[in-house]
Amino acid sequence: MTATSSSYRVPYDLRPCKQVERRMIVDALQRLAGGGFPITDYQYTGFGSIYFVDFILLHKLLGLDALLSLERDVSLARRVTFNRPYSCVEIKMLPASSEIPNLSRDVRHILWLDYDGVLHRDFLSDIQSAVTVLPAGSILLVTVDVEPPEAHDYRTVEPDFDDSKDVLGPRQWKRYFDHHAMGYLRLGLSEGDFGKSKLVVRSTDVLKAAFTKAIVARHELLFLPMFNFVYKDSHSMLTMGGMIAGRTEKRLLRASTMDDAVYCRNDFDSPPFEIKVPRLTRKERIYLDREMPCADDWVPKDFDLDAEEARRYRELYRFLPAFAEILL
Amino acid sequence: MKYALADVRKQFFIDMFTRDISLEDCVLDLIDNSLDSYLIKHAVSIPNLIFGADAGTATHETGKIDVTCTERQIRVVDTCGGIPRQRAVEDVFCFGHDEDDPAGKLGAYGVGMKRALFKIGNKFHIISRTAKEGFEVTLRLDEWAREKEWKIPITFIDGADREEKAGTSITVTELHEEVSLRIGEGGVPGNILGDAATTYPYFLDQCVRLRINETEVHPEPIRLGERDGVVRAAREKFEQNGVRVALAATVAPGRRTAEQAGWYVLCNGRVVVRADKTNLTGWAADLPSFQPKYRSFVGLASFESDDPLSLPWTTTKRDVNRESSVFIRARGLMAAMSKPILTFLNSQYPSDVTAEVADIRDAVEGVQEVSFKDIAAKPAVGFSYTPPKKTEKTSEWIRFSASISSLNRVRRHLRRPNLSASEIGQLALSHYVKTECGE
Repeated sequence: MTATSSSYRVPYDLRPCKQVERRMIVDALQRLAGGGFPITDYQYTGFGSIYFVDFILLHKLLGLDALLSLERDVSLARRVTFNRPYSCVEIKMLPASSEIPNLSRDVRHILWLDYDGVLHRDFLSDIQSAVTVLPAGSILLVTVDVEPPEAHDYRTVEPDFDDSKDVLGPRQWKRYFDHHAMGYLRLGLSEGDFGKSKLVVRSTDVLKAAFTKAIVARHELLFLPMFNFVYKDSHSMLTMGGMIAGRTEKRLLRASTMDDAVYCRNDFDSPPFEIKVPRLTRKERIYLDREMPCADDWVPKDFDLDAEEARRYRELYRFLPAFAEILL
Repeated sequence: MKYALADVRKQFFIDMFTRDISLEDCVLDLIDNSLDSYLIKHAVSIPNLIFGADAGTATHETGKIDVTCTERQIRVVDTCGGIPRQRAVEDVFCFGHDEDDPAGKLGAYGVGMKRALFKIGNKFHIISRTAKEGFEVTLRLDEWAREKEWKIPITFIDGADREEKAGTSITVTELHEEVSLRIGEGGVPGNILGDAATTYPYFLDQCVRLRINETEVHPEPIRLGERDGVVRAAREKFEQNGVRVALAATVAPGRRTAEQAGWYVLCNGRVVVRADKTNLTGWAADLPSFQPKYRSFVGLASFESDDPLSLPWTTTKRDVNRESSVFIRARGLMAAMSKPILTFLNSQYPSDVTAEVADIRDAVEGVQEVSFKDIAAKPAVGFSYTPPKKTEKTSEWIRFSASISSLNRVRRHLRRPNLSASEIGQLALSHYVKTECGE
């Protein structure tokens, strides 16, 4: 639920799918910059935690220097400050809800609400605030966990729930979604619609409804979808995002090369782009890279990899991180 | 081509359109008319009234409105300038304004006065005089309902000669039974007085002096607070479809009751929604449900336009049209502005009272009144709280639970049966410091 609670659980910088997602977002921003959006002048606001991986990428690769990291857990203040990578990264020990109304209306923003919890009413309220205040041309990204709500999540709905006696299932998950996202779900959903495998779709529906509901209030502005990622490093995660756009931004966006990017989703009704990092050895990757980009039916001759996997690698290889041990 | 009748039946019309408004709001509609005459006569600009340099002070001679409310009659007499004959003949008694009618500021729909007259009684008498000319209308509703024609007889009379005497007098008699009954129950004049005080804080004393049954109505301002360097109000501004919107949300000064907390919505300076804590302004939807701990919250949303029809008020002027696009936009901002304030107010009540919490409580109690115009004059920004610079702590609270039997043992030992638990705690600590710690 908090922006940092997973920062101890998961080494942020070693999650390959998350890193692919970040790289794709950077790639998209480069495409937008090429299309006439002054990305370098945008302000980036995110949850840098103690790793600041996204901040480092955006500063190094795109030259953004208005960077703001929000951290709601005040007990982490010293660690967060200690790990600040550049002097241009400002840190505020505040929840997003307190800072969003303060974001300057004179600057365009990239705001990444990178939550690590399952969908919560506070997230929807933050989206509402963000879409309400961000100026045209700004980009809003939202990440949520799409695993089933756990006992501690469910206790926000039913405080007396005892997981040593009762088991959580679609019934409770439906109640959880009804409680936190009432008004964002379509009518007539049954418990069966909240089975584990359906929660990605439910969360997608809710986030889509949140963007739509909030943008309606913005006179002559649209929320143009750009991203819809699903990936799993440990938990299944969903990232959706797009641009708050007036006519000019819409024209620029459509004229840019954004739509050519394989990961781009210019509507939220198409299936999400699934980031699946293939398990390959270093040697296999070097071999594959020499053949990239490959033809649709290409398969490697010297080891077994089917055409489908080769195609998937073709989509990802430009964005794939390589991890290695360094003896310091 | 054959046609089916699609007439308006007079009696149905009279009965139907008086149903959804309270007696008090009908009287306020009549007061709105008087106020509107004043605003038109003096070409008063609503933005000046609220945000101008002279906001809060009377710039012209104030008009007078006297309301009398008894079981026999309801009467509203003003010296606000009167209604020109031409308007009386061509517009005032029509249901709905003509497109070419010079729009007033508080009369949007052109139904308020007629609805009030129909609601209150069977007979009304109107005399209105500008300085130059005047007119008089007397009507019995039951007789008029039987006539097919939609006309009202009007008599021209002389003007008032002097500007300060120009005005309108509306007297409704033969009150409908339910109206007499309600007034007979008592409380109606008091309600009107209370409603007027909270509805016209920007008009009373600045434009008019209002009396209800000879009792002067004093405006009840909507108080907003800030504290230099510590608490800053949230503010937003935008314009859409010719409607200028200014929003402010903050902590209110002074001791507050839960009844006063919430959002206040103004349309052309008139309060149409008071202390709202419902879904209308985002509570229990984008914001949590209201709880007494949020009683210091106050928000003010001002919608202002030269075309009153484009404002989001309903015909009763007691609610907001939720489908209005300008209100939908404002509502989103209102929720976004409110949330940090609620988080701030919430942080006064943690499980453990620390020095930081004491600072927050001090900040809430220490906000000072600041005017809407001063808040609205600054650029859009969110609410902020800056904790005071930390001073070196010289004391800290200790709080723990002790068994009653052990406390009683101490009391018996010291032969002081009235010693309080906290005194025993203090004694124990000073004893330990003295006997164990040394210098």
